[in-house]
Amino acid sequence: MLQLAIYFALLSLISVGGVPAVMPEMQRLVVDVQRWMSAAEFTQLFAVAQAAPGPNVLVAALIGWKVAGFAGGLVALGAMCGPSAVLTWWLGGYWDSMRDAPWRKTFQRALVPITVGMILAGGYVLATPYGLDWHNALIALASAAALYATRLNPLWILAAGGIAGALLFG
Amino acid sequence: MAPQDFAEVLALCQFLPGPNVGNMSIVLGRRWFGLAGATAAFLGLMALPFFWVFGLALLYSEWAAHPMVRAVVTGVGIAGGGLFIGTALKLAKPIQGKWSAVALAAACFALVGVGRVSLFIVLPVAALLAWFAARRGVL
Repeated sequence: MLQLAIYFALLSLISVGGVPAVMPEMQRLVVDVQRWMSAAEFTQLFAVAQAAPGPNVLVAALIGWKVAGFAGGLVALGAMCGPSAVLTWWLGGYWDSMRDAPWRKTFQRALVPITVGMILAGGYVLATPYGLDWHNALIALASAAALYATRLNPLWILAAGGIAGALLFG
Repeated sequence: MAPQDFAEVLALCQFLPGPNVGNMSIVLGRRWFGLAGATAAFLGLMALPFFWVFGLALLYSEWAAHPMVRAVVTGVGIAGGGLFIGTALKLAKPIQGKWSAVALAAACFALVGVGRVSLFIVLPVAALLAWFAARRGVL
């Protein structure tokens, strides 16, 4: 559990671009490095967190829960939120002096392609728990297209994914 | 609060590390009520969803042995991955046609998503590259 807390605290500090941007690293640690669960179990926990209302950082709580019970869930969520929360609190006070600084615009522009790449990687890793095949490619690409091109509520897209899962994997 | 002000706070929260809405609650809570406000806003945002998500997780673990339930939930997870891909494409709109930015995004994806290289290695290198490129106006 200590290991989980330390690792999530580090992830918290590099989660520029939000939680989705660090999902690939979280999955790598939990599945590939520590082998706390399989890639399929990770994707299923992520599904539960996505289906529940609330911020997507809650997936951290579910991972902690799976690894070390309810206390693990609290610790994991705290570790994932705490360091970045302190940093935000601290930097929030400098916001007025940063707002018009030229380096801030540069920084933001630099961050866009990195965030795009990392979130894309997170989507790919989550969508291919059994490796890439036409089943998961179909569900993932259809969901991506639906989000990109329509104004559908994402919950409907998730529900459609569930139906597709029943048909393709059931 | 003016819409313009809201948009600026949101922009700040998106480029700070941490969950975006969580950061938002801290910055706004602080502005109006100081430390107590930030803490209350943050906990208020997290508390109820925390129990929701656990309720759902317990329900799922109850039924996870059932292959059909697992198939449905796996489908939802894959669709969730698809939502990430859709989100990334939306975020990529401002860099469309900027080839150096697209190449950097593609490299990050290939290294982290396919090559499974640690973010702790890729992120600092990519950030440094992007910073210099952005300063020279290449990004």
